[in-house]
Amino acid sequence: MDLKLETHVTDGITVVSCHGRIVLGEDSAALRDSLKQVLTSSREVVLNLSGVNYIDSSGLGTLIAVYSSARSAGADIKLAGLGQRLRDLLQITKLVTVFEVYDNEQQAIAAFHRGAA
Amino acid sequence: MALQPITGPTSSPGSGIFPTLVFVQGNEQRTITLDHSPFSVGRKVDKDLVIADPRVSRDHAIITSENGQFEVVDQGSKHGTFVNGERIQRKTLERNDRLEFGVRDVSYVVFHPHHATSNTAREFLSQISGIHISSESTDLEKLTLFLEAARKLNTTGVLDEILVTLLEATLKLTRAERGYVFLKTDEGMRLAAGRNSKGEPLLDDKTISHSILDDALKSNSEFVVTDTSQSLELKGRQSIVAYDLRTVICIPLRKPQVQATRDIQAVTPADTSAEVMGALYVDSRFASRDISSVSNDILQAIAREAASLIENARLVQAEEASRRYQQELSIAASIQQGLMAVTIPEVPFARLAGRNLSCKEIGGDFFDAVNTEDGLAIVLADVSGKGVSAALLASTLQGMIYSQLTARMPLTEIVAAANRFFTDKHIGEKYATLIVARIRRDGELEYVNCGHVPPLLVCNHEVIRPRHGNLPVGLLADATYESDRCNLHPGDRVVLVTDGVTEAENARGDFFEDHRLEAVAAKSETLEDIFSAVANFCGGTPLNDDCTVVELVYTG
Repeated sequence: MDLKLETHVTDGITVVSCHGRIVLGEDSAALRDSLKQVLTSSREVVLNLSGVNYIDSSGLGTLIAVYSSARSAGADIKLAGLGQRLRDLLQITKLVTVFEVYDNEQQAIAAFHRGAA
Repeated sequence: MALQPITGPTSSPGSGIFPTLVFVQGNEQRTITLDHSPFSVGRKVDKDLVIADPRVSRDHAIITSENGQFEVVDQGSKHGTFVNGERIQRKTLERNDRLEFGVRDVSYVVFHPHHATSNTAREFLSQISGIHISSESTDLEKLTLFLEAARKLNTTGVLDEILVTLLEATLKLTRAERGYVFLKTDEGMRLAAGRNSKGEPLLDDKTISHSILDDALKSNSEFVVTDTSQSLELKGRQSIVAYDLRTVICIPLRKPQVQATRDIQAVTPADTSAEVMGALYVDSRFASRDISSVSNDILQAIAREAASLIENARLVQAEEASRRYQQELSIAASIQQGLMAVTIPEVPFARLAGRNLSCKEIGGDFFDAVNTEDGLAIVLADVSGKGVSAALLASTLQGMIYSQLTARMPLTEIVAAANRFFTDKHIGEKYATLIVARIRRDGELEYVNCGHVPPLLVCNHEVIRPRHGNLPVGLLADATYESDRCNLHPGDRVVLVTDGVTEAENARGDFFEDHRLEAVAAKSETLEDIFSAVANFCGGTPLNDDCTVVELVYTG
């Protein structure tokens, strides 16, 4: 498996950092499982994708599916640290209009705090 | 014991003993099992071999089997049946004969009397026994050889055949009258094979002492010999009375422990705590011979070897099942290819070409084209994921879009309907990116891009990539879709690709990327130029994803 996932909590917000590729199979399954796990205890999650160099169509499908189910359960996922390729992909697929995307982890965390204030 | 070549019931289909026909059509070939007679060939869909070519008659020919010989018989076909180039009415087939049915150029059939690995356990055993077993060998030596030979058959044998062979060997060694193999299933012990000493099949009946069988399975012994004459307690049991049973030998078959070597000397004594997977049961009546004195060595050898034989045979069966699954997959692949085989409509104002390279057996790309009064409509889609699931969705989506294009629905409504279908059906994480476009006679191109790689508009060797786009189909239920329009001039081209092209990878992990695609599209004349550019770039690294390229040239 190419994808490594690491979870930490900063200022009360759970951050899941991904490193590697998110592609069909184990990788997207691992991402789905760990996000689902995180969402059982946190309603505000930042997904740091700065270490992701490639995401294929299945990986994107997973991302959307987890995002949609989080939203319908009253939780929120914000994306941070997208590389150019992923930005392009979200642009082409118009998914930039769906996700909340931030340049980096700190900005995403700050956005959660602004929302809460 | 003399191990004569054993003749018995023919083995079940799938054991590789049937002759095959290799059907070659153009660049494709497939192997067809000749497992029944007569085997029919013709253009009609109910034929065993359907050749869809007008030169093939509807009822063209049959292949019949008699006494192991195969014969092809022409059924009065219009264009004739040929064997090795010679027109025939009826001919006995030999190995590698080339058969042609009406069509003399693009398709033919090659006859193989047997599959390459057609040795059945029986044939093989009879050969082995003929070579290795001398009449001076002791029974145990024979058994050892016999079972070892049978074990070597793992690559070709199937379970039923192994069981019958095992039973016959056991009956000969023990001189018992009847023998049965029971195998454990989810519903308890089920009879898997039964034989009497004449080799006739036996079914389960109440004369089998199930109580002794149960006792043996519960015991920790390698085998249990029950002499009813020695046991007052047993005399009252129903089957023993009913069938006048004298001796019952019951050998529990326990799952063999994993062994590092296949050397027969290294076989460890059966671990009596191991899982029971069945039982070997033989018995004799009072009126018949006494089998209670069968040597313990023989029973031990059977106990040790039979279980591993059966286990190995089961593994072979599992492989067989997986092979069949592979066959199913290739059938699915041919259906998929059939759907991909688009008949490109001829229109006076435009020229269309499309080509797909699949990375796996089947993929989620498709393209299609429909000519209507509104113009020529095309769709190129890529369903996320790979394999059967992607292909299933691709086929469904293709059907939906095709019918709606034919019904001249507005493009935005077509994709909105497809999106509703996908999201209503909760297809999980699967979705599709697609472009649907319609070009009018006057050169106006309307298209909807749903998350797909942006099209390349090539005008005078200059490439334009419109930024227009929408959400993919099937991701979000409330997505709305808009179309974009542009006017083409004679000579302008539209190139559509799936991301398998832009994300084709070379050995260094670089992608083909948009800039390389644009460069080759700007100067290419044909689709092949794009495919060869991708192939050159990948330099032998296999494709990760399906690649499809569609090119539309507006001729005015």
